[in-house]
Amino acid sequence: MSGHRIAAITRRLLQQFRRDRRTLALLFVAPIVILGLLGYLMRGSASAPAVGVANEDQGQLGAMVAAALTRSSVITTTTIQASDGDSKLKDGSLAAYIVFPPDFSQQAQAGAIAPEVHLEGSQPGTTAPVLQALQQALISLAAQGPVHVQPHVTYLYGGPGFDTLDYFGAAFIGVVVFFLVFVVTIVSFLNERSQGTLERLMASPLRRGEIVLGYMLGFTVLALVQSAEVLVFSLAVLKVHNAGNVALIFGIEALMAIAAVNLGIFLSMFARTEFQAVQFIPLVVVPQILLSGILFPVATEPRPLQVVSDVLPLTYAVNGMRDVMVKGADLTWSSLQLEVGVVLGFVVLIVLAAVATLRRRIA
Amino acid sequence: MATQMADAWAVDVQNVSKSFDEIKALDGVTLRVKRGEIYGLLGPNGAGKTTLIRLIVGLLESRAGTVTVLEQRMPNVPVLRQIGYMTQQAALYPGLSVEENVQFFAAINGAEEGVKEALELVELYERRSSVVATLSGGMRQRCSLACALVHKPQLLLLDEPTVGVDPQLRVQFWESFRRMAAAGTTIIVSSHVMDEAERCQRLGLIQYGKVLAEGTPREIRTLGGSQNLEEAFLALAGQKAS
Ligand SMILES: Nc1ncnc2c1ncn2[C@@H]1O[C@H](COP(=O)(O)OP(=O)(O)OP(=O)(O)O)[C@@H](O)[C@H]1O
Ligand SMILES: [Mg+2]
Repeated sequence: MSGHRIAAITRRLLQQFRRDRRTLALLFVAPIVILGLLGYLMRGSASAPAVGVANEDQGQLGAMVAAALTRSSVITTTTIQASDGDSKLKDGSLAAYIVFPPDFSQQAQAGAIAPEVHLEGSQPGTTAPVLQALQQALISLAAQGPVHVQPHVTYLYGGPGFDTLDYFGAAFIGVVVFFLVFVVTIVSFLNERSQGTLERLMASPLRRGEIVLGYMLGFTVLALVQSAEVLVFSLAVLKVHNAGNVALIFGIEALMAIAAVNLGIFLSMFARTEFQAVQFIPLVVVPQILLSGILFPVATEPRPLQVVSDVLPLTYAVNGMRDVMVKGADLTWSSLQLEVGVVLGFVVLIVLAAVATLRRRIA
Repeated sequence: MATQMADAWAVDVQNVSKSFDEIKALDGVTLRVKRGEIYGLLGPNGAGKTTLIRLIVGLLESRAGTVTVLEQRMPNVPVLRQIGYMTQQAALYPGLSVEENVQFFAAINGAEEGVKEALELVELYERRSSVVATLSGGMRQRCSLACALVHKPQLLLLDEPTVGVDPQLRVQFWESFRRMAAAGTTIIVSSHVMDEAERCQRLGLIQYGKVLAEGTPREIRTLGGSQNLEEAFLALAGQKAS
């Protein structure tokens, strides 16, 4: 091992990137665009689903529930005729309509009320708010009665302001870095092969370990800058909820980036062209993202998939990020020790695999 | 006698064969190159010149036979410090400048001090800050040569170094090759240009992965029964084929 030769490779990589605007943009602009978009999607004032309310009740109750619905923040209501409802669902102007039948108040006397809810139904996302608004309206009604309903809510983690972006943001910070660093590494390494310079490197006194280390250092420098940028953007601009230590988050992010660099080098041995490398994305990256618990919690997965999730290093990385940011975990937590340990072990393994697969033989 | 001579051989290839699936790229090749000699590898497309050079550097391992370079059995990493290899297509980093490319290859060989001299040799010193992607084909070839010799190797392997280089510069290249050889550098050049073959001290004619003939240009002409190297080569190739 010669530090001098390793440094030569690192320096050359950084020189290359200095002139390569497109790749720089991919590394430093793309994550901001992705996370910014995600933040806007999840936090931007989404227009609440439009719900029609037809009150045919001959008693008082229908009007009271309708009034409570109007105050709901998760839907917007308009008053309609029950007979117009279906055509309004069809033309898309309503996501649902609710009918209070003529005997609604009488039903209440009998102890079982049945408001009719008609849903458009093709967009699952709009169903929940409608039902939630109706439930809240009914509960608020009950609160006006003799029994006062006022749940006392406490949060172990998060808080009343904790939203989807806080939940997904913690995972996405790590995954965006992992994904982009992986793509850039695998493509650069294959470039080296296809432009013939790898043949030259192999005919030089460079050792395999020196090549891998030189690459790792060069990309790690870029990845750390990217990680820091992503972290600052997420915490300062998107204001993603963070209960943990920023240095610890950065540490986990950096580990993920180093893993991505070496995964890129390792997998580039199994591709001959950049195009083949891109084919690894649906094969290697997408399943990991689906199964690592970023989108669907591992606990809710079908059992066979849970087994797969449990062996994917990304699962541990994502859990680690969430433990720190959502739950405020530190290294004294055994769950975080396990997660960081698994990611660290994976990094060591993949570095060794990258060195072992880099063959001096080029043909 | 053979053992005493061993020190004089820069490259000693003994009975080497190499196949790629069905294709026999090299078939029992034996050749030796003396220190300080300019040795020409001549042969048509697909003869096995590049394969032989890759075997000499240790990029390929032969199925049979041995390759010894500067007294070391190949493949051997430390001896690569003494070897300069110019690949057939100019293998450079297109996004870097000429100087950055040469500097990089100098650095991995621990020879940063040779950069200026190498750039001057290939007449690219004035263009040293041009990005390689913007160079002409011949300039790229020259930059590639500079990268191969920047660390002043004892053995230079040049795979068709003068393709795309203009005649004046080609003459200069050969002058510097001769100067380097006189200073003790061993040079192996592959080519299919016959007037270049004339400039080599010894030649090896290769076809279908076999050495057809070996010797000085004069010896080859005699062997082939012609005053003209090209005709001699064709005659020798024809003899083997029939
Ligand atoms: N990596 C490889 N895989 C398969 N076949 C190969 C490989 N490299 C070389 N060959 C085959 O070996 C033979 C010799 O090739 P080689 O490149 O050594 O020829 P060459 O003498 O350098 O030709 P040229 O003058 O065109 O450069 C050819 O038939 C070629 O197709
Ligand atoms: Mg060739």
